[in-house]
Formats: sequence, C-alpha cells, structure tokens
Amino acid sequence: MKIRNYWNLRDYGANIWENAGRPVRVAIVLVSIVLVGLLPFTGGSFLATPIASFDAVLVYPVGMFVLMSLGLNIVVGKSGMLDLGYVAFFAIGAYTMAILGTTTKLNTWEIMPIGIAFAMIAGVLLGIPTLRLRGDYLAIVTLGFGEIVRLVVLNSTWSKGPNGIANIPMPPHIGPLKFELENQRVFFWVVMAMILLTIWMIRRLSVRRPGRAWEAIRQDEDAAELMGVPTLKYKIWSFTLGAAVGGAAGVLYASKNLYIAPEMFTLNVSILILACVVFGGIGNIWGVVIGATVLGYLPDRIRFISDARLLVFGLVLVIVMNFRPDGLLPRKKREKAIVKREANA
Amino acid sequence: MAKIGKTLLKLDNVTMKFGGVTALNGVNLEVKEGEILALIGPNGAGKTTVFNVITGVYKQTSGIVDFDGTSLGNQKRFQVTALGVARTFQNIRLWGDMTALENVITATDVHKKSGVVGALFGLPRARREESENRERAMEILRFIGIDEYSDRLAKNLPYGVQRRLEIARALGTSPKLLLLDEPAAGFNPAEKVELAATIKKVRDAGYTVLLIEHDMSLIMGISDRVVVLDFGTKIADDIPSVVQNDPRVIEAYLGVPADAS
Amino acid sequence: MFAVLIDQFWSLTIAGIALGFIYVLVSLGYTMVYGVLRMINFANSEIFMWGTFGTIVTSRDIFGYTQTSAPATGPKLALVLLSQLLISMAVAGVTAIFVEYVAYRRLRAKGTNRLATLISAIGISIVLSELMRLLTDSRPVGSPRVLEKIILGEVWGANLRLDTIITIFAAALIYFLLERFVKLSRMGKAIRAVSMNEDAAKLMGVNLNRVITTTFLVGGLATGAAGFFYITVFEYTKFNIGFTMGMAAFTAAVLGGIGNIRGAFYGGLFLGLLEVYASAVLGTQWKAVTVFIVLVLVLLFKPNGLFGEAVQTTRA
Ligand SMILES: Nc1ncnc2c1ncn2[C@@H]1O[C@H](COP(=O)(O)OP(=O)(O)OP(=O)(O)O)[C@@H](O)[C@H]1O
Ligand SMILES: [Mg+2]
Repeated sequence: MKIRNYWNLRDYGANIWENAGRPVRVAIVLVSIVLVGLLPFTGGSFLATPIASFDAVLVYPVGMFVLMSLGLNIVVGKSGMLDLGYVAFFAIGAYTMAILGTTTKLNTWEIMPIGIAFAMIAGVLLGIPTLRLRGDYLAIVTLGFGEIVRLVVLNSTWSKGPNGIANIPMPPHIGPLKFELENQRVFFWVVMAMILLTIWMIRRLSVRRPGRAWEAIRQDEDAAELMGVPTLKYKIWSFTLGAAVGGAAGVLYASKNLYIAPEMFTLNVSILILACVVFGGIGNIWGVVIGATVLGYLPDRIRFISDARLLVFGLVLVIVMNFRPDGLLPRKKREKAIVKREANA
Repeated sequence: MAKIGKTLLKLDNVTMKFGGVTALNGVNLEVKEGEILALIGPNGAGKTTVFNVITGVYKQTSGIVDFDGTSLGNQKRFQVTALGVARTFQNIRLWGDMTALENVITATDVHKKSGVVGALFGLPRARREESENRERAMEILRFIGIDEYSDRLAKNLPYGVQRRLEIARALGTSPKLLLLDEPAAGFNPAEKVELAATIKKVRDAGYTVLLIEHDMSLIMGISDRVVVLDFGTKIADDIPSVVQNDPRVIEAYLGVPADAS
Repeated sequence: MFAVLIDQFWSLTIAGIALGFIYVLVSLGYTMVYGVLRMINFANSEIFMWGTFGTIVTSRDIFGYTQTSAPATGPKLALVLLSQLLISMAVAGVTAIFVEYVAYRRLRAKGTNRLATLISAIGISIVLSELMRLLTDSRPVGSPRVLEKIILGEVWGANLRLDTIITIFAAALIYFLLERFVKLSRMGKAIRAVSMNEDAAKLMGVNLNRVITTTFLVGGLATGAAGFFYITVFEYTKFNIGFTMGMAAFTAAVLGGIGNIRGAFYGGLFLGLLEVYASAVLGTQWKAVTVFIVLVLVLLFKPNGLFGEAVQTTRA
C-alpha cells in the first residue's frame, strides 16, 4: 500500500497542474500537443514497429483506439452502462463514408457530419428501447446489436456483401497538408485533432449538469431518478455521444483504409476497445488515453503478441477487473489534495 | 409556528400488495401544508412502502395518491420529484463518489432547463444556471449546517453528516413536501435533539414534512399530528398526546392488549 | 416464400424440436447461474464450444475415428456415444467451474460492483474462445461420423433420422434428471433457497461458495451435453460457434423467464421451432437476426418471460 504513494503519478501530475497558473497550464498543454504531434518523425527510433510502418501504427490502431476508447468511455466509464456493440457505430460511420464516397461527389469532410449523424441516429434508435434494461441485459443486447449490424452488412447488396467496398477516396488536402498512403502523418494529426475535440467535449460535460447526471446514474440509478434526474434521457445522450465519436472514427478509418469489408467490424473490435477503457482506468480521460495507447501499440511492437492480441486483451480484462478494478489510473476524486489546500489557505 | 394550510398530499384508500403480502391495506392519509406529520408504526408496518408509493417506486395495487391537485399514479419518478416531492432513504443512498456539494447540486438540477447542448457550447443560460445551482446548493448546506464538508466525498463523511446530507440533497430539489425516512436512525440523544431542531427549522422555512421515526420523544416534541400504521392498516391519526395514550397504538407497539398489563 | 414452410412443415418441426432441446440444455447453463447470482454467465457460450470439442476429441483421438472410417455399430456404438457424452459434459463442467473460480469468485468476495464482474466474465469468455482459436488455427473442425444417420421411418412425409431422435429423447432425459436433481436433492434445495433469498439461505447455514460452484457445475454439465448433441446432429464445430449458440440459448432462457428451470424448457423448444420455421421463410442467413429481434421484443414487452411470473426489480 505504501509503495503506491510513491508511484502515484496521477496525484503527482495533478499537483503540478493544480499549483500552476493559467499561462503555465496553457504552455504545458501546447508543448504536450506539439510533442505528440512530432511522434510520426520518431519512426526510426526504438519505437519502430516491425511489420507496419510506425506512422501507420500511430493512426491505426493507436490513434483510432484512443479516439474510440474515449467515446466508449462516455458510455461505460461516465454512466456505467456496458456497451458491447460499440463496433456497430464504427461500422456505420465507415459504411457511410464508403458508400457516399464511392457514389457521390462528397468528400471526407462533407461526409463526416453525415456519418456522425447516422451513428447518432442508430444510437438513439437502439437506446430508446434498450436503455431501460438493467446492466447485464443491456450488455447482451448491445452485443447482439453489434453482430446484427455486421450480419446485415454482410448479407445486403447495397454494401456489396462479403466483398466489401473498395476505392474509397482519401480526404482532400487541407491547405498544404496532403494525405498520403506511404506517409500517414497527416492522418495522425487529424486523429489527434479529433481526440482533442473529444477530450474537450468530455471535460466540458463532466463538470456540468450532464456529467453530474451520468455520475449519479452510474453510482445509484434509482436514487438518481428519485432525485429528479431524467435518467433515460441522459442515458440516451451518453449512448448517442459515444456513438458520435465511434461514427467519426469510422468515417476517417474508411477514408484512410480505402477499402472496407464486414470482417473488419466484428465483436472483437468492441472487446479491444473495452479492454483499452478498462486497462487505463474506467472513467478517467488520461487513464483511457494511456491505456489505449499502450494496448494499441504493444501488439505491433512485440511481434508474438500480435497473433494472440485478443487473448492478451481478454486476460487484461480478467486480471484488471480482479486485481485493480479501477484500472491503472483510477478515477478517484482527489479529496485529500482539496482538504490540504484548504488547510494551507 | 408556521400556519397549517390546505391539504397538500392525499392518499385515498391506497392498497399495496407484494404477491401474498399486503403491505398497505386501504390507507387514507392527508398531509396539510406547513405541518410536520409523523408516520409511526412497528417494524414492517408499511411506513417505507407509503413513501415508495408516493414517490413512484412502486405503483399501488389500488387507490389514489393526489399531490397538490395532480394524481401521482402515472407520473415517472423524476416527474414526481419535479412536481415537488422529495425524499430521503432509510438506508443512506447518497452518491458516494461525489462531493457533498455535488450531491446537492445534482438535486437542484431538476428544475433547470439547460441540458447537454447548453453545457457543451457554454450557452449563457447554462452558465447562469450552473452558478445559480452552485450557490443554491451551498446555501442549503449552510442551512442544514454541514457546509464545512462541502468538498468532501459523500462516502467519506461521518455517519451523522451523511444523514444530514440526505436531507440537504432532498431540499436541493426545492420540494413542497419533504419525506424523511428515519432521519435519526443510529443517532445518540444529543444528535437527535439537534436533528429535531433542524427539522423544525426546515418546516419554518416553508416546507411541509412527512416524517417516519421510531423515537417517541422526538416525535412528541416536533410533530403536529401523528399517524400510526400497523400491518399496513391505519390505526390512529391524531395529535401526539392523544395518539400516545391510544390503547390500540400501545397494543401494536407492545404486542399485547393494553388492558392485559 | 412460405412454400418451403408448408411443404416441409413436419420435417422442419422435427428438426426444430431437436434444435430446441439443444437450446434447452444450453439455456439451463444461463438460467441456473442467473438464479443464484442474478448475473448472466457470459462465458456459457464458450463452455458450450469447449464441450463440442470434447465430443470430437473423444471419437477422433481416443477411439481413433477419422473422417473416412465407417460408423460404429452395436455395443461399440453405444460405448463411443456414451463416452462422447460424458467427456463433453466433463469438459464443460470443469470449464464452468474454472470460469466461476477465475472470473466470479474473487469479485464476489470483494463485493465490488456488477460492472467489474460483467467485464471480468466477458474477459474470460474471450480467453476461452481465443485459446481454442489458437489451438485450432482458426479452422473449423469436422466430426467423424460415429452414428450413421439411418432413416427410421416417415411420419407425414417427414424423415425420422436416428441422430435427431436420439437427440430429442436423450436430451429430454437429461433435462428431466437435472430438474429432479434441483427439485429433490439436498444440494438442489440449497440452490433453490439461494435463488429465492441469498441472505436467508446463508442464515440457514448454506455454504454459499459450494452452492455457487455446484450451480456452475450443473449448468456446465447441461451445456456440455448440448455440445455432444450439437455435434451428433451438425458434425462440425469451430472456435466461434459459441456466439450464435449463446445468443440463442440466452434468448430462450429469457423467453421462458430467466432463473426459472421449467422456463428454459419452454423457451428452448419455442425458440428452436421459431428459428427453424423462420429460416425456412427468410433464409438461414437471417437466423441470428431473427433471434436477436425476438430477444429485444421479449425484453421490452415481457421482461419476465412469456412463462414466468412478474417480479418487481427495484427496491428503495
Ligand atoms: N419490494 C417488496 N417486495 C416484497 N415485500 C415487500 C417489499 N417492500 C416491502 N415489503 C413488505 O412490506 C411490508 C412493509 O415493509 P416496509 O418496508 O414498508 O416497513 P416499514 O414500516 O418501513 O418497516 P421498518 O420500520 O422496518 O423500516 C413488510 O412486510 C415488507 O417485507
Ligand atoms: Mg422502513
């Protein structure tokens, strides 16, 4: 127990942050963003990945995993609902991009809001009937939903069935930044921007009414309802915002991969993302970011894991839940620091 | 003393059955504006069930619950709260991982209009409501006398403070009627006296109180009227001094006919 | 569209009953565990999958059958089939106990939240299926034909195949025995006591851990038996067959009122028939979709099942 205090990076980091003034904070944020943004140039270092090129790995799985984990975290971490069909929203975004991108003149950025909207609509349509259900029922229904979306795509002609859809256009260049297959650093920057936007969204909502409602629902749903929280409404919002992030990730993924097929959207994706959320620390943004980065990157770096990736992720779920149910960086509110600050004041 | 006004809550012949168990059997009950009404009875008499029926946790098997002119029968639970009924729980059910202040703010949200969109884009109304809620919640903590704990996580608070926070949280919803389910459970005599004063203060601030309590002296000291339940049936409904001497009440509590002693 | 359904109504019905009995046994795995823990055993689908492999390993590796060897006859046939059944049950039973021990027990002792337990259970089911995927190189595995699929006779134009008939009767027998066990044995009574009221049962001196382990075991045995019948009828398995089976059997359990043993029986048969009829009309590729829609509809409109009685879930 003692040891943990020394290694409590979360508190250590938070202390620095809390004691810093506004300009220092802005500087910390900007420097961190620039440093992360420079990552694609470090491909030649010890970070290099043996099979896929490093900048590609940074986009998928790492960046995409972080993005989707943040989205799923709104549902699982913030409001405590286990969604095992998250891949469905990813698939809906990807197929929106693929179909509109190959049959219309719309480009990736124009399709993005459409893909997000479709994912959100699917979220609402699935949410309204199922979010009344208790935890484990919800888990199994979402599990089924994820699989159903895949089966529908697999067995329909508009989606070209098992053949998938090829020749999906890349995003058009943004000013001087061109998207290229051989060098995916611009994709990485776009994913980064999306991640930052998602973090901004979550942080904003967390400290205001929606965040409180989710927190109350997660901790004691009956009490929340009896204290006047419209629980179904906020659960649907949580689900839908999660879906929006998943849909956005899907659009970008299709436009980066140029080809998608139903087998990319299996239950496994949902489980991988869930493992990322759980590993780093359910409900804690930085925990999720770090967890998803580690779990996204390691299997590509260490070759023997990449075959058994899912096995490892399954083990992560069991082990983390049993021994550190709050993940590596738990969400715990840092009450002590607050009290101490008061004592000093 | 506050003036007692018109009928605020009315239970008309309410029956609640759980399978074979009849928890409430044709209960009639009126709560008048401005009063402190105590609901007493032996363990398992159906007191908590009365709260559960009023707040929509259970739907009564038959009978009508009318609050301030609205039938509560088909309201969702959060709508009942929005209409002006708030409760505490016999077994404390705070949101442990939130601070005391956040617990109360969450309750104050019930009457606010702004939601996800407002919060996300920082619309003026959402900002205004956020700061109003925060102030109001802080005021309530001060009113109940636990403001020094505002930044502490609810689960780490001392037991007595948790019980008080339950009351503060219920007040956060700005109720017309406050339902307190054994708020003094586990308190020592000194704490009970203090709590009685708090409940009086709450009533004098304009809230109507329906109180479940086992401690007779506490009840005698503060309530305007006492209703006694036994095995789901109302057996007395009068001012404290009369109820205290009612043979049926004594029998219900002691389990023996009053004249046998 | 409905021509197939009408033409082959009786043979579909027989196939549906056989499939239904397989569902009955797997949904027992869900229903029993749910009864005592009020939790879905997410790994039950993988317990089933391991059972199917137990069946195939028995005939292939213990008795040396290959895809080309002649089916068995006489006492040898009985011996092989019985060994397959028992080993499949044993494999599944052991897997079930393993699941309880690794994924549930520790969290139950700590009394942590349900979310953690759910995620832990999902983790273990991923581990079970991935292990099998790696062991089998993601390939489907065919079963040698031990039991010749003799046509015994014909009723209303439908063939009565030996494997189907055996499945129906043997599965019904196993269901019956398990139901008796839960009804009459001491342990069975303890299981029922715990499902009705855990605290009261504890007060009455029931050893909770033992009851829960036994419940997983019994559920696993039923699920393992289902694995054997599944192989006897379909002669094929793969690391990922658990998913569809699990979804269907869970739906069956919910249909019958989850936690209720008799309910698993009705739910399983109902779903087996429904699935076979629906496939005849819509095509087999929509089988899973049909099951899912049934599940959602039941959860929404009859959450206590078609055959169960209503219970109120929240307490305040
Ligand atoms: N959800 C339920 N299901 C079945 N029976 C219930 C339920 N809720 C309450 N009961 C029964 O109804 C009766 C009244 O219970 P209730 O909790 O209202 O009593 P109470 O007067 O609050 O008792 P106490 O003083 O112990 O809190 C009891 O017999 C109880 O077992
Ligand atoms: Mg009570």
